[in-house]
Amino acid sequence: MKLIFYGGGFEEENTQLDKEAIKLTGKKSPQVTYIPSCSFESEIDFRHFAEHYYRLGIRKIICFPVDLRSDEALQNIAFDSDIIHLSGGNTYYFLKYLRRNGLVQKLKKFVKRGGVLTGLSAGAILMTPDVKTAGYPSFDKDDNEENVKNLSALGLVEFEFFPHYRNSQRYNKVLEEESMKTTRPIFASSDGSGIIVDGDDVKFLGRNYCFIEGEKYSASRFSEA
Amino acid sequence: MSRLKSIQKLPDTSTDEDRYSKFDQINGQHPLKKSAPDSVICYKARQRHGGKVSAFNFELAREIGLIPKDHPNKLTKRLSKKVLDTFSLVIINEYDELSNKKFNEKDIKPNSYMATRYLQLQHPNKQGKTSGDGRSIWNGTIKKNGKTYDISSCGTGATCLSPATHIYNKFFKTGDPSISYGCGYSEVDEGLATFFFSEIFNKNKVNTERLLGIIEFQKGLAINIRVHENLIRPSHMLSHLRQSNVEALGDIVEYFIHREEKNKRWKEVPSSRKKRLDYFLKRESEIFAKMAAKFESDYIFCWLDWDGDNILMDGSIIDYGSIRQFGMFHHEYRFDDVTRFSTTIKEQKSKAKYTIQCFIQMIDYLKTGEKKSVQSFSKDTILSYFDKVFEQEVYDLFVQKLGFSKDVCQYLIKSKLNLVKELYSPFSYFERVKSLEGKQKVEDGINWSAVFCMRDILRELPQLILVKDGPISPEEFIEIGKSSYAMPEDLAIYPSRLTKINQFQGAYVKILNEVAVYKKKPLSKILLETTMRSSVINKYDRVTGDSITSIVDKVMKQRPKLNTEDVFNLMHEICNYQTFDPDLVDYKKRDHKHSKLMNGILKIVKEYREGL
Repeated sequence: MKLIFYGGGFEEENTQLDKEAIKLTGKKSPQVTYIPSCSFESEIDFRHFAEHYYRLGIRKIICFPVDLRSDEALQNIAFDSDIIHLSGGNTYYFLKYLRRNGLVQKLKKFVKRGGVLTGLSAGAILMTPDVKTAGYPSFDKDDNEENVKNLSALGLVEFEFFPHYRNSQRYNKVLEEESMKTTRPIFASSDGSGIIVDGDDVKFLGRNYCFIEGEKYSASRFSEA
Repeated sequence: MSRLKSIQKLPDTSTDEDRYSKFDQINGQHPLKKSAPDSVICYKARQRHGGKVSAFNFELAREIGLIPKDHPNKLTKRLSKKVLDTFSLVIINEYDELSNKKFNEKDIKPNSYMATRYLQLQHPNKQGKTSGDGRSIWNGTIKKNGKTYDISSCGTGATCLSPATHIYNKFFKTGDPSISYGCGYSEVDEGLATFFFSEIFNKNKVNTERLLGIIEFQKGLAINIRVHENLIRPSHMLSHLRQSNVEALGDIVEYFIHREEKNKRWKEVPSSRKKRLDYFLKRESEIFAKMAAKFESDYIFCWLDWDGDNILMDGSIIDYGSIRQFGMFHHEYRFDDVTRFSTTIKEQKSKAKYTIQCFIQMIDYLKTGEKKSVQSFSKDTILSYFDKVFEQEVYDLFVQKLGFSKDVCQYLIKSKLNLVKELYSPFSYFERVKSLEGKQKVEDGINWSAVFCMRDILRELPQLILVKDGPISPEEFIEIGKSSYAMPEDLAIYPSRLTKINQFQGAYVKILNEVAVYKKKPLSKILLETTMRSSVINKYDRVTGDSITSIVDKVMKQRPKLNTEDVFNLMHEICNYQTFDPDLVDYKKRDHKHSKLMNGILKIVKEYREGL
């Protein structure tokens, strides 16, 4: 299983993680599919994404919005890629349309066949067992305007993921409280930071923390432990 | 240096009154009254009370100098009062005069306001003797940077030029509930539809009238204020031609040329009368040919007909009542106007060309003083010129749709036109395929649905060729291009269709290779750039006429909670979302969060994207 969880940030902040993603494919110039969380203005985000990956030597890049009518032909080509990147955005909206188009199972199959699945912010949350972390903190949470009730996600790992983490008291307080309500560790990554999962091997890049039962750990130390 | 440093900008001490003084210039006075007196009917007007400004186009107001450059997008109390004082008017019409109606003297405006005469096919009199602005007046003009703008208002009372007056042979009281169109009023939803639609078109370089504001009254009634550089329509001229009034015809033609010249939209206009008229003819044939090509290319349905109504002389759209933008090339759609069906989108070209034929007749009449039949000009060289410009424009617009930058488009048109034609032929074939379902009744007319959404093909093909290292399979081509209107039997891949798919992809790849050589870039880079540009030009969700109607319904329901600024901001958000020029898109990273209302609008646009 090859996964990368991006804490957030612009393309330039995430170059190292992108390089790790390319490395995980074992190919010099793999094919990459960009899945935006929402088609609204996705052409703008795709442009940033594509230009950035082109600079990294990637030539085959495809955009596949999931909230539009899905053509089977396009879908097959999109899932034939070596890397699929789930973008940031509204987690609930993203989840709703992944489900509606039967893509949750397809993504799981993609990972199972050895594809590299990467996700930024909302996209990263979707790779975890559920999307609860999108619902807090109250001062920076996604609105569930789509009224998604079933919060279960792809469940590719046994931890929860909290993006855009800031090392501040108010974030820590919320995360410590939330970690008391779950049996799973909550990994929190700042913008430009992230977690690389390659089978049983887990690597942390940048500023990552872990919250378990009300306690905060530095993620790298947690890993060593 | 030190002295300069000590100079500081003085605080703005101008009063609100000064800031809005430009409004005072809009007082009914208009040069057309003097230049072409036979083209106008003047009415006294009085203040209409009880209105409120429910929409205001701050951006346009700044553009025409009506409000200062630094004016915020905020309807201040004084601005609101100025808008109402200037535009909340109702004419004192023939009915009022005949029934000796008395009005408060203080409410009566010092100057008269004109309604203009023009030809309209829905009128019983086919010469334009009784038709024109049935519910509009021209408020006046405003100048900014040497440019003059016309301002008119719709919904300012029943004039004697409305169809009802002549059908029933009597004058009507403004607001008479027994008639609708002829009662002289306009409605808020009409104004909002014009506001959203015209601003989207304006943003995408489709020439159009623009809405300055909406003044709302009880029961959804409204005065809708429009602005344009020159509000003269072909029908303003054609009415005089039909009536063989050579003097009035000469007046309005010269008035029009003069304004275009003064506004510097027409340059190097000759000074001798004969040459001016020839210049006029050539320019108009260019304008109408390009306009017809643009409408066809963008699937804009604008009911062009022999009367030259519904369009301005510069090819701008006016009167959004029947304007639509189709999601696909529904070239069999006809609007049902109770007593007649409209032209189709494909017939627009021949109607535009016929207007030019009328102009040829008109110019000949002005030059010779003898009015010959319009048919006698059917082989005029200007009509061949029209065809040439039209064809050229079709290819220009087609190449732009492919997603190439301006310089590449110019290169392809100049140096690889045969290749462009090779691609256009199968493109046009797929665009025109109609469903085997046949003609169907639709809400306001009839249609025979198109099968393929070629915008989808143009958007997806470059990225698919990029990842597949070559053309996609015929099945994939059909799958991507098929619309929701397609029935399974519409999608059969029979030998001649297979040939078209191969021709299309073959020519497409050839063009890409030519561009790669021209730009000295690898094909993969060209494909990626084309993918990115084409995803904007051929965006999945583009507004259609039906979606505008639904958006307006939604906004109308929300409106009690929306103030003038909210409506303006919403219009802005919609326009940004509906910008199809990759060179105009703001690629800065932004927060994609939007309001619940905007969320709903996005869903509407998606839902209706292939429709009418």
